Amino acid sequence: MVIEAQPRSRAEDYLRAVVSHDADGAIVVDQSGTVRFLNRAAEQLLNRHGAELKGQVFGFPLVVGERAEVEVLRPNGEFAVAEMRVLSIEWEGQDALLITLRDVTFERQAEAALRDAEAFSFAILNSLSSEIIVLDEHGKIVAVNEAWLEFGRRQGVTDLTTIGVGADYFALCAAAGPGTGGPECLQGLQAVLAGKLTDFTYEYPVHSPQGTRWFALRAVPLRGTRKGLVVAHNDITEQRRAAQIAAEAEMLREQVRQMERELVNVEAISHPEEMVRSRLEPLRQRDPERFQDALKRYGELLEAALASRVHRLPAPSRSLRDLGEWLGASWAAPRDLIDIHLQAMRDRSQYHTPKKLQAYFEEGRLLLLELMGHLASYYRSIAAGEVSSRD
Amino acid sequence: MSKIVLHLYIAGQTPRAERAISTLRQMIEHDLAGYDCELTIIDVLAHPQQAEEQKILATPTLIKSSPLPYRRVIGDLSSVKDLLNVLNLPPQS
Repeated sequence: MVIEAQPRSRAEDYLRAVVSHDADGAIVVDQSGTVRFLNRAAEQLLNRHGAELKGQVFGFPLVVGERAEVEVLRPNGEFAVAEMRVLSIEWEGQDALLITLRDVTFERQAEAALRDAEAFSFAILNSLSSEIIVLDEHGKIVAVNEAWLEFGRRQGVTDLTTIGVGADYFALCAAAGPGTGGPECLQGLQAVLAGKLTDFTYEYPVHSPQGTRWFALRAVPLRGTRKGLVVAHNDITEQRRAAQIAAEAEMLREQVRQMERELVNVEAISHPEEMVRSRLEPLRQRDPERFQDALKRYGELLEAALASRVHRLPAPSRSLRDLGEWLGASWAAPRDLIDIHLQAMRDRSQYHTPKKLQAYFEEGRLLLLELMGHLASYYRSIAAGEVSSRD
Repeated sequence: MSKIVLHLYIAGQTPRAERAISTLRQMIEHDLAGYDCELTIIDVLAHPQQAEEQKILATPTLIKSSPLPYRRVIGDLSSVKDLLNVLNLPPQS
């Protein structure tokens, strides 16, 4: 492995002894880059015999700063990543360069694996539609997903650093002030962080020019060695709206049941046989044409009611009374009225915004109750003998 | 004046390789703009046989086969000034 040239000095002997036993690969090249010496570690790193490399051009090493990284190629096609340092020396009486190569393949692979894992974690975070932030033990944001930043943009946040990584989420909650839910959230998040709660959920409204939307915040502890919290925000406006509609529908059903009981009593007094017949089959099946007429008239009244609400005009109550009597003459039962009402709502649900649908629902509920009242009045007058015949 | 012939050996599209390519393109377009210059890039992962024939031991390696003297450089190829110095370029007429 040694090309004999000039008599070696004592200093060179020492240097040769040191590099020969160095754990890092050491290659001595002359000014043309030709190999003059290499140690055992270099042979192992290159997976080649020293004799094979003797006199071969390795290359003139260029390093900017202290070190450079290179891929060291092996005969089997594999390669290692090495950190290369270069030192000017005198070797066999001539100017030479000592190249040391430290195998950093494992470190670089570990770093790459770490980067991959990090990228994978972020890919998962970004794939979730929930707005997610990760907080450290002091309430500082250490990670956010794209949905969270998008939420910020929609809320008109121009400087995303105020809600991004590095921002103090606890301070944001505290600054939100009483009545906003901020202090309650802060208390809950701190309780989870302290281990007093296993998780924390809080529902809060966000007001914007487009309307109020509701969000549910859910915080769970960060699992692993680092202390912190994962906070997910979910838009629950639709669920809340559905729950509200369901509650209103239940209330409506109860009112209708009450009215139905009243109507049954009134009907029983007037025409018991016909009442029994009318209760057997819904109007929709019994007389589809009349059902469609009723639906059309009810729809027109609903639109008129909504317009009167918007433009503050008097409601067309006379037409509603007429419809109630017309339905009464058709032996319509309360469930037929509900059927008509729900069909009218379904017809509108396809074409209107949630806000307008809500208005239809509110106005429709009042209209339906009023219509029920007219139907009840009609049956009462039948019972009292004021109306003697039906169509 | 003979053509400047350069061969760059890289091992895949690593940041090191991309930096070397960028430096060489800059060198050719600016510092060697008035010279007939040819640069060939060889990926040793795709062409291991060429690397073995040329006895390439590490990447990135840059070989200047013309004009003489033949030069082979390895390591950090991000400094145009250092490269020109080591490769003896531009050629002295």
